[in-house]
Amino acid sequence: MRSVPVAVRLARRNLYRRPAQAALVLLTLTLATGVFGVGMAVRGSADAPWDRVWNATNGFHVSANYYRLGNLAGADLNLPKVRRTFAALAAAPGVRAVGGPWLDLDGRLDVGSHGGYEDLTAEVRDPGRSSVDQPLLTAGSWLASDSDGIVLEQGLASALHAHPGDQVRINGHRFTVRGAAMTVSQGRFPLSLPALIWVTPATGALMRRIGLTGDGLDMQLRLDNPDDAAAFAAAHRSIETSTGHMSLFLETWRQRRADSHSDIDILAGTLIAAGIVVGLLAVATAAVIVAGRMAAQTRQIGTLKAIGVTPRQVVAALLVEHLTLAGLATLLGLGAGRLIAPHLAAASLTILGDPQVPALTVRQVAIVAGVAVVVVLLSTVRPAIRGLRHTTLRSLTARARPPRRPARSARLAAALGMPLSGVLGLRSAWRRPSRLVTNAAGLTLAVALIVVASGLRSIPNRTAITPSGPGSALSGNAVGALYDQIQVIVRATAGLLVVLGIINAVIVASFAARDSARNHAMLRAIGATPRQTVVSLVVSQLGACVLAIVVGIPLGLAVWRLIDGGDLPTVSVPVTDLALVAIATALIFTAAVSLPAWRLAQRSVATALAYE
Amino acid sequence: MSETTVLAARGLAKTYAADGVPVRAVDEVDLTIEAGETVSVMGPSGCGKSTLLHLLGGLERPDAGEIVLGGRRVDGLSETAWAVLRRRTIGFVFQAFNLVDELTAVENVELPALLVGEASGRARRRALELMERLGVAERADHLPARLSGGEAQRIAVARALINDPVLILADEPTGNLDSRATGEMLRLFADLRGRSQSLLVVTHDARVASTADRLLTMRDGAIVGHTRLDAGSPSALLRDLAGLGGEY
Repeated sequence: MRSVPVAVRLARRNLYRRPAQAALVLLTLTLATGVFGVGMAVRGSADAPWDRVWNATNGFHVSANYYRLGNLAGADLNLPKVRRTFAALAAAPGVRAVGGPWLDLDGRLDVGSHGGYEDLTAEVRDPGRSSVDQPLLTAGSWLASDSDGIVLEQGLASALHAHPGDQVRINGHRFTVRGAAMTVSQGRFPLSLPALIWVTPATGALMRRIGLTGDGLDMQLRLDNPDDAAAFAAAHRSIETSTGHMSLFLETWRQRRADSHSDIDILAGTLIAAGIVVGLLAVATAAVIVAGRMAAQTRQIGTLKAIGVTPRQVVAALLVEHLTLAGLATLLGLGAGRLIAPHLAAASLTILGDPQVPALTVRQVAIVAGVAVVVVLLSTVRPAIRGLRHTTLRSLTARARPPRRPARSARLAAALGMPLSGVLGLRSAWRRPSRLVTNAAGLTLAVALIVVASGLRSIPNRTAITPSGPGSALSGNAVGALYDQIQVIVRATAGLLVVLGIINAVIVASFAARDSARNHAMLRAIGATPRQTVVSLVVSQLGACVLAIVVGIPLGLAVWRLIDGGDLPTVSVPVTDLALVAIATALIFTAAVSLPAWRLAQRSVATALAYE
Repeated sequence: MSETTVLAARGLAKTYAADGVPVRAVDEVDLTIEAGETVSVMGPSGCGKSTLLHLLGGLERPDAGEIVLGGRRVDGLSETAWAVLRRRTIGFVFQAFNLVDELTAVENVELPALLVGEASGRARRRALELMERLGVAERADHLPARLSGGEAQRIAVARALINDPVLILADEPTGNLDSRATGEMLRLFADLRGRSQSLLVVTHDARVASTADRLLTMRDGAIVGHTRLDAGSPSALLRDLAGLGGEY
């Protein structure tokens, strides 16, 4: 019954006495929860703006759409039959209001002076206000019967930098822009195609004369209860048809909302995937810290056990300490999500207005806290139990574990003429194999993600040299912008992983320096220079770096092959990039582990030898 | 200081801060050691014996005073210069043996030879010869963790001797040994007397101290007694110790 108070007291004392280690664990946990939290916050940040426009436009509950498939301009649309089908649907029970049906005309928006164009849909509307899906003006004014001006969808107006009074050319003829407006009946240009404009019937007739053709028909329905939309659509699935040339289908407002923010979804998905990878590396970092702590505190644990503290209380203290940090990391991660997500989402091409992070849900808190707790459990339990397995007497006489057999690799290296300090480093390289592997695992993830980032870097170049398809003179660059965003996230994640990898390396090297302090003091006592002991310690740590390069580069390339199966252009990471990654990793790692090695070399030999 | 003086120290001082209070660990010590001479240092725990040894071997920096080794002033040397000097000139033997855990016995012994640039084959031969002489050749391929205390200390002595240093500094060399191993160590030190190497031994053990040519006694960081012994003359030694009191 006394376990918990004792554990809490021990945990509190450890947090106070080792603030730097606690800060490191907190940092790694917060990086994981933070990236995860940002991803989750970004995911829902476009919903509130969408809802705002949906409400302001009296947006649809169910949308009926009929349009031509492929490039069959001039093909017979058989519109009278579709109009009859739509009329029957509009009269169905549960329908409260109807917008349309509206005819969609297919045309070309001329862009630039070199024959470039953007595919365009002109939706023919009465100038009056529609009871359903009345577009929300963001500039200028709505259609008028005494004007042949047109209204541009807001994303299109933004891409064209067009303002009321400006002129645009459609199928070679000039039309005046009356205004710009938002709608939820179609996604925002340029990620949603074709570009959308609204025109009056008179303007529509004019457009037909200059070559625009009937391309489809759409009708927007409001129901008595928006929550009935899915059931309504299911009940009328029989009207849905799809041939090789035409398609008629129903869509609910929830389906449209879910499909409206492809870039935000990709952004959020990338961030959450990055959060998982950072979480994995956080496990490695925290495990290294905890294992080192347990090794360093073995004598203290022995003392605690000698005075009657039970092994369970010691494990509980460690768990309490790190679960406290996990709780703090959860708060920080969720807070970071709410702070950073709006800035990331603001760059979205599909969001309708300013992003708005939704209120926190219990599920979100549980997921982010779960990430932190899983990291803590994975990193704490094993080293804690290992530390406790030591007998009390062994704990009280704790020293770094001596090797069981001479290292063959070191003998081979000596035979091959490796300098003495390098051979000495190889001797102690496998002294803590689990730390080496943990360190290497973390660094491997970092190297793999850097390879992925290198691949991403070359994608925009490829899209830039590939001519945009006909009819996407404006929107062709939008995909490049999306890649840019993803690239930034992957690079930032790779940067985080590199930072965590370096922290891992420094921690492991610091613990290795502590383990080696006596040996190195001894070496200096018999004539080894401080520089030789630094080289020895650095060499002893290089195994993790070599493993990370050997495994991480193929792992990164394998990830690319998986991605290549998707929509991304085929990418091959240049060999020079891979060589650069390997060299940079080795140099950064060497610099990182040199720091504790150098600090060890500055210590007094007599002091190190005094701890006997 | 004569031409045969191996080591001379003048006004050597070292002060530590213990809980903010300065403690004079070595206080104005003057000392000379002649070639081939064995000098033992005794005194109560904490009197500064080990600190004196560390200062003389360059493991710690003195706050004041000078050290002349082989006719050369060395107290101002850098860490690296001290390390290079120790390779050929000074051999250390410690109470805790301080063998490098990752190296086998023979590799520990040959290490100083490799540090001075000797070819590995020749270093190995010399290490094995030395280990043969000290009776531990059959333990050559064992790691330190598998050696007994006596064996480990003989390996440590072999390591100290391999470069034929002019001075051997031994800090409580029998402190971790049982009586049989201590006896072996005493015979070993007696053998050293015939090799014209100088030996400075810090010890609590009167039997070890009695093998020396001279006995220095320390208290509170200062040398308070200086006794010339006929090697193996415990009567003079015991007489000297009786005047010191305290725990040895």
